[in-house]
Amino acid sequence: MPDGLFIFFAALTLGAALLLVLSRNAVTSAMGMILALVGVAADFFLLDAYFLGVLQVLVYAGAVMVLFLFIIMLLDTEDPQGAYPWKTAALGLAVFFLLAAAVLWLFQWSGAVSTVKAGATPAELSTNPAEFVTAAKAFGRLLYSKYLLPLEIAGFLLLVALVGVVSLSKDNPENQA
Amino acid sequence: MENTALAHHLLLAGLLFVLGLTGVLVRRNLLVVYMCLELMLAAATLALVAFSRFNRTMDGAVLVFFVITVAAAEVAVGLALIVALFRKRGTVQSDALTTLRD
Amino acid sequence: MSPDFSSLVHWILFLPLGAAAFSALFLRRAGGFAAWFSTAAAFGIAGLSLYLLAQGADVRWHVELAKFGGVSLGFGYLLDANARLMLFVVSFVAAWIHLFSVGYMQEDAARGRFFGGLSIFMFSILGIVVADNLLMTFIFWELVGFSSYMLIAHYFDKDFAAAASKKAFIVNRVGDLGFILGIAMCLSLYGTLDFAALKDHAAAAKTIPAAVGALLMCGFLGKSAQFPLHVWLTDAMAGPTPVSALIHAATMVAAGVYFMARVSFLLAPEVLQFIAISGAGMAALAGLCALAQTDIKKSLAYSTLAHLGIMGCALGLGHPELALMHMAMHAFFKATLFLGAGSVIHGCHHEQDMLKMGGLLKKMPLTAATFIAATLSNCAVPFLAGWYSKDAIIEAAWHDGHLAIFAFLSLAALATCLYSGRMIRLVFLGEANSEEASHAHESPWTMTLPLVVLGLVYSVAGGFLASTLLPAGSLQPIKGALDAIAFHLTAPSTIVGLLSLVLGFLGALKFYGSVRGADALQVVSPRTYHLLEHRWMDGVYRWYVDAVQRRVAEFIAFLDLLLINGVAVRWIGGGVPAVLGYLTGRSFHRGQTRAYALWIVIGSLFLAWFLIAR
Repeated sequence: MPDGLFIFFAALTLGAALLLVLSRNAVTSAMGMILALVGVAADFFLLDAYFLGVLQVLVYAGAVMVLFLFIIMLLDTEDPQGAYPWKTAALGLAVFFLLAAAVLWLFQWSGAVSTVKAGATPAELSTNPAEFVTAAKAFGRLLYSKYLLPLEIAGFLLLVALVGVVSLSKDNPENQA
Repeated sequence: MENTALAHHLLLAGLLFVLGLTGVLVRRNLLVVYMCLELMLAAATLALVAFSRFNRTMDGAVLVFFVITVAAAEVAVGLALIVALFRKRGTVQSDALTTLRD
Repeated sequence: MSPDFSSLVHWILFLPLGAAAFSALFLRRAGGFAAWFSTAAAFGIAGLSLYLLAQGADVRWHVELAKFGGVSLGFGYLLDANARLMLFVVSFVAAWIHLFSVGYMQEDAARGRFFGGLSIFMFSILGIVVADNLLMTFIFWELVGFSSYMLIAHYFDKDFAAAASKKAFIVNRVGDLGFILGIAMCLSLYGTLDFAALKDHAAAAKTIPAAVGALLMCGFLGKSAQFPLHVWLTDAMAGPTPVSALIHAATMVAAGVYFMARVSFLLAPEVLQFIAISGAGMAALAGLCALAQTDIKKSLAYSTLAHLGIMGCALGLGHPELALMHMAMHAFFKATLFLGAGSVIHGCHHEQDMLKMGGLLKKMPLTAATFIAATLSNCAVPFLAGWYSKDAIIEAAWHDGHLAIFAFLSLAALATCLYSGRMIRLVFLGEANSEEASHAHESPWTMTLPLVVLGLVYSVAGGFLASTLLPAGSLQPIKGALDAIAFHLTAPSTIVGLLSLVLGFLGALKFYGSVRGADALQVVSPRTYHLLEHRWMDGVYRWYVDAVQRRVAEFIAFLDLLLINGVAVRWIGGGVPAVLGYLTGRSFHRGQTRAYALWIVIGSLFLAWFLIAR
């Protein structure tokens, strides 16, 4: 039986994600998204990935979602009026179950999960000499040795994105209606 | 913690992923669709961290680091695209965007 | 172990950077203050480096910036005798040129930018001087290229200045490509970029691959304007005259020589051979070409080319100390010549054509005196600065038995005397040949004082400089080379030198006095004049770009059109969907974003199933 914290945060995450998908108001959706991301971050903590958890909260739940909210307010799109589209929601539910069934079936069938003993603990699974170390320092060491090139590329990607955003948001006449 | 198995985390990740996917498929507001996409990405990172943790290796976790970086860049560009789209078409409802048909 | 001077080097290196940053941030509008600020910084550096030279202490200091696997990248200082000499020459000449600029740029609106540029140049060149590893050298090397670009393009609203700066930059990039490849090769062969470690490796290895030296030499070819990358230097005269004096005569072009001297242990004999021959050839040719320029600065630029050729030749002959000594002497008298030219141009209301000058000896006596002193030094009149180094190199060529090189260098010596005599005759003697020249006036003290210090003192006191002024120890390696090559009156170099001096200098004075308001050579033999004036290498490059590079580029563009645009995009990328769309009556093709998303989901599920089931 999983421990209580995991169940609590899993429920929180899924509930918030449901809110995100079902709400008609974009701001409410964003709130659900933030909550879901915090839930995921909490799960990172449960998995001993403290650094990633902090990063998730800072970058995702913080910066990225602020950007989302900002854009939502900037565009100020009207919420759809009238009755809640139950038919669409029902369709969505059907899609969800279908997909979930498909994904879980693939999971099961792949055997990737079943080879892991139920209730297996990290200690029992330890095969890799490169220990899973939680400190940010370990990240740094790996990032600047084995993953140096990807790191550089990621940095360059950020630069490209920056330039791209600037050029996209420039008020040039071709973008106008 | 010692009581949760890899399967539990993967189940959570899978459900989150499918929830996000459903949102992408049924929602019309592009902003919400985009958030659902991000949710899928978060679910994937969750699975990565879980695998990484249970295999006692850092590689998955480092990959998550890169996913977060790329996602941040991608959100910035994507939102800029949505804003540009809104400026041009005056809407962010995906139903209205059928230019690709022609 | 002598006391640690590394903090002093910190000051020397970062003072100009601070000055540049301060100018760029706060003094863009306050040009006058920026000028004095920058000049004060330059004199501060000069003082510090003189102190360092007097102390004669080696400085080693290193800090590791990053370590990738076994490769360590660092920032550090390696100050040996050569570096101290170079440091002194650069900072000292630069300080006086700063002072000169204060007067010369008096009326320029963009003085803040100009002096900021000078300071950033100082920072870059000093970085090259003190650098203790190849990577740091390369970084500062590029910074030097950048500041040179910026200063050449000071009058960026003029087309020719903009074009000249671009040309200088691009030609240098060609050389730097080889340079960075050479660095990469060093790294892969020896696993280090540190000069000291490289030296140990080179000493341990019996032979050095010629490619390393050849690639590193490419950087030198570009920066020091050696054949065939010399084309940018004469155009670079589009910049303000102090810039020409500082960068394109005294220091930057000499940096290549300095760098070659620093890595001389990496140069294989074949590379040295090439440098020696091309240097000697260029020295002779450029000297002759200087005869066919009417622009005083361009004529001086060719003279610089000739001297750079001589320095390269000394390097190639295996006497880096002599090359450095000539670099130092040349820096002093060539800076004086350029500054003198600047003073003349300033006095003649921005007239640069020598044919329109004349008779300035009476109107600008101080300028004329210093210019003539520097010219005589340039011609290697015995006991003036240029004589010690230039004749030593010519003597070295004879001594080592390289007759062809000796002949070329002798021709260069003759040509030097010829164009020097021509310049003196046209500019300072005779009658004024234009309105501007007849109303010439002497320049303010800020311009004449540097002339006097750099020109008179250092040209006349060259021998003193060569032996004693540069304090004990710092010139030890150079002294050794001097002793090895004995001076005496019957030495071939002395004979050649005196002969060319008498023939060339006096002959030119007489020859160019014969025709007024025009170039005598052009009158007597227009074909020879044109032959020398024409820029052959520019033509070769133009031909190369037109006939080779453009053809290749067009061919690649054609392939791109055919294969990528045509086959890949039009036929496959466009054709397959078109056929499928026709077959299905476009029923899947409704432009519904969500429908597309659904298809992607189905496709990926299918793919996952396929991968798992396999």
